[in-house]
Amino acid sequence: MGEHYLLISILIALLALIPFFVKFERRKVQARELVLLAVLIATAVVGRAAFFMLPNFKPILAIVIIAGVALGGESGFMVGAMAAFVSNFIFGQGPWTPFQMVAMGLVGFLAGILFKKYYAKADSFIGKRKLPLLIFGAVAVFFLYGGIVDIWTILAMTPHPTLATVVAVYGAAVYFNLVHAGATVIFLLLLAGPMLKKLRRVQIKYGIDNM
Amino acid sequence: MRNTFATYHPIIEFGFFCVVIVIGMFMIHPVFLAIGTSAAFVFAMLTGGKGSLKFTLCFLLPVILLVTVINPLVNHQGMTILFQLKYSYVTAEAVIYGLLMGLMLAAILLWFSSYNRVMTSDKFTYLFGRIMPSISLIFTMVMRFIPNYKIQIKKIADAQKAAGQQGEAKTRREKLHSGIKIISVMFTWALENSIDSADSMKSRGYGLKNRSTFSIYRFDRRDGLAAVFLAVMTIIVLIGCISGACHVDYFPEIVYAKAGPLQTASYIAFACICYFPVFIEVKEVLVWKHLESKI
Repeated sequence: MGEHYLLISILIALLALIPFFVKFERRKVQARELVLLAVLIATAVVGRAAFFMLPNFKPILAIVIIAGVALGGESGFMVGAMAAFVSNFIFGQGPWTPFQMVAMGLVGFLAGILFKKYYAKADSFIGKRKLPLLIFGAVAVFFLYGGIVDIWTILAMTPHPTLATVVAVYGAAVYFNLVHAGATVIFLLLLAGPMLKKLRRVQIKYGIDNM
Repeated sequence: MRNTFATYHPIIEFGFFCVVIVIGMFMIHPVFLAIGTSAAFVFAMLTGGKGSLKFTLCFLLPVILLVTVINPLVNHQGMTILFQLKYSYVTAEAVIYGLLMGLMLAAILLWFSSYNRVMTSDKFTYLFGRIMPSISLIFTMVMRFIPNYKIQIKKIADAQKAAGQQGEAKTRREKLHSGIKIISVMFTWALENSIDSADSMKSRGYGLKNRSTFSIYRFDRRDGLAAVFLAVMTIIVLIGCISGACHVDYFPEIVYAKAGPLQTASYIAFACICYFPVFIEVKEVLVWKHLESKI
């Protein structure tokens, strides 16, 4: 069965999405929260259009993290997974789609689990607790996102992955992942403040959610 | 580009891509890969034309080559040693296996390039709208928001420029800050609008029972025939795969399963599945020519 790692890993990635999606569907989400999620996903996907002057600068994961912080783990997962899925409608679906969905979803999920409680409590969460969020952003993008997304590269390159292949692929990806992590940190530094403030205002004013 | 297959019912199209991609990844077998890759290439050429040719030549051929080269370097199984490197050796089996893996990857990427042209987002929403209503609704809204937001970003950027805020953004730092400002403004606008649309949805009865949804697709006789045909062929291929009639061992030596009627039937059935979209396209052209000649 050795040769079917790629197929099996794609199936596992797809299966990993199901519990989150099922739980979300069961929750019978209100219209206002649905639209809020759609806004965050669309902003994450379209974000790079605002940085047309700076190619390779993608705010997508920073916005996913912000969504997780503001709306909690489950919604963070939805925003991440859907943002990956939708942006592949623009850049092309492929065997990498499920991996990106799971990876981005998990980044949003962890952001929610780790930071939601601070967001709910403090008024000026953003000013005081920026550093942990930035560190989380760098680590999550570099290790979690980079690590998961390249699984498919490794398995596509060699059907019998050895330590050498794994090291070679991750080694080749270090530069890209560093740039990605760096960009995410910069975006979090500059965007987390204003975006979280705006989100919080809308959440309080219109009574959306689970604060 | 001509694309008769895209006029079929979405479930046929989605099922077709699932079958060819999953079987294509599962069967690392020279005949299956030859059928799959050639069909995927022809179909991609039909749907994508010149773009697909460029994609194949400039991207897929190097990928195939890369995988073929990398595999024997990390995989030293196999009996037939081709040549010795400094600290290791390269076997013929590993080279062949690498080539087949490269072909498999190329076939999948080609199938996906056609998938992107055939399975548009509205078809996807239609298929999954009933299983995942909330998620599909989010998906639909996002697909609508994206072009809106792009226009809005353009407007904001123009306004900033007119106000003398952005025109001279030269350094990376300035560009970054102007981008942040644009996104921040866009986000405020989007949030305000979102609440309006949510209230509007609610007052129009979102989430009430017994609401029906409109869809433009209907499952007609042609779709039924295609579904039966593809299902029967898939079952034949599955029987062939599971019974081991199409089994190949690559290591330590390349050993094919004995030829037999079941093996041949699986090959033919798989070719029928993979070439189905090409076949209906050709049929369409022939029918059209025939009708034209009658005029």
